[in-house]
Amino acid sequence: MKIVKLLLLLTVSGIGVAATVMYSGVVNVAADEPHSDLVYWLLEETRENSIKKAAQVITVPDLSEPELLLTGGIDYEFMCSSCHLKPGQIESDMSIGLYPAPPNLTLSNEEHIGHEHGDEEQASRKSFWVIKHGIKASGMPAWGKTHDDERIWAMVAFLKRLPDLTPDQYQVLTAID
Amino acid sequence: MKTNLIKTASKLALVLIPTIAFSMTATAHDPSMHVKKAEKADCSKMDHSKMDMKDPVAIAMMKKCLKQSEADKKSMKDMDHSKMKDMDHSKMKGMDQSKMKGMDHSKMKDMDHSKMEKPENKTNQKDAHNH
Repeated sequence: MKIVKLLLLLTVSGIGVAATVMYSGVVNVAADEPHSDLVYWLLEETRENSIKKAAQVITVPDLSEPELLLTGGIDYEFMCSSCHLKPGQIESDMSIGLYPAPPNLTLSNEEHIGHEHGDEEQASRKSFWVIKHGIKASGMPAWGKTHDDERIWAMVAFLKRLPDLTPDQYQVLTAID
Repeated sequence: MKTNLIKTASKLALVLIPTIAFSMTATAHDPSMHVKKAEKADCSKMDHSKMDMKDPVAIAMMKKCLKQSEADKKSMKDMDHSKMKDMDHSKMKGMDQSKMKGMDHSKMKDMDHSKMEKPENKTNQKDAHNH
């Protein structure tokens, strides 16, 4: 009986603390004020594990077809490059202003610091899932609501080659016909 | 009834006018950075000798440039040069009409416009030689 009372007391006080934090407005939601290291770690780990779990059942198609680079390139230029940058670009208004900062996709997986990408197949699965479903409260939209899987895979194929592209190659591949 | 309407309208104006005025002043540092321009592929920088023709990137670039040059050729062919006799050159920027007397426009069907220099460039080159 004592344990039940203690548990009840802890639950009520927990709800009380959460409600106080929520309604007092003490939490700073400004994007120009970074999270504490602990909060950042908690959110990052939650996000990465969620994506890893959700993407593990996805089957990766053949992404070596050159035509995919043309379709994916145009979509990348118009939908992604303002945040995730293009070859030769170091930053943009969006990459500076968004928090968490969108990853620079012109860098290879090995050059990204912070989290594991897994092998090439795992990285493709994760990219597909993120492009299709987006990420809550991060600024990453769910492109799957307006684009079919075929078009999203073309973007994944383009992303795989993006770190190797020169600015001139990028210009040709992403230009409108 | 009328007084209520006036009150509501003035309240709305109180909220809307400052909001609109504030949003109009909130311009970005360089608006041109926010404009996405649909660009044509710049195939002039492609160095075929350095390209690995088995690489999907090289194949994709070749496809894009081939498609673009075919489209350009088609649009040039579709132009009716014989009807250009009565063109008013005086309304064209940078064109020297005095040099165009006696030109036979009907022979211009197979002209390669991409190899033409702009008149301003020629002037600059002349200037450079004079110095």
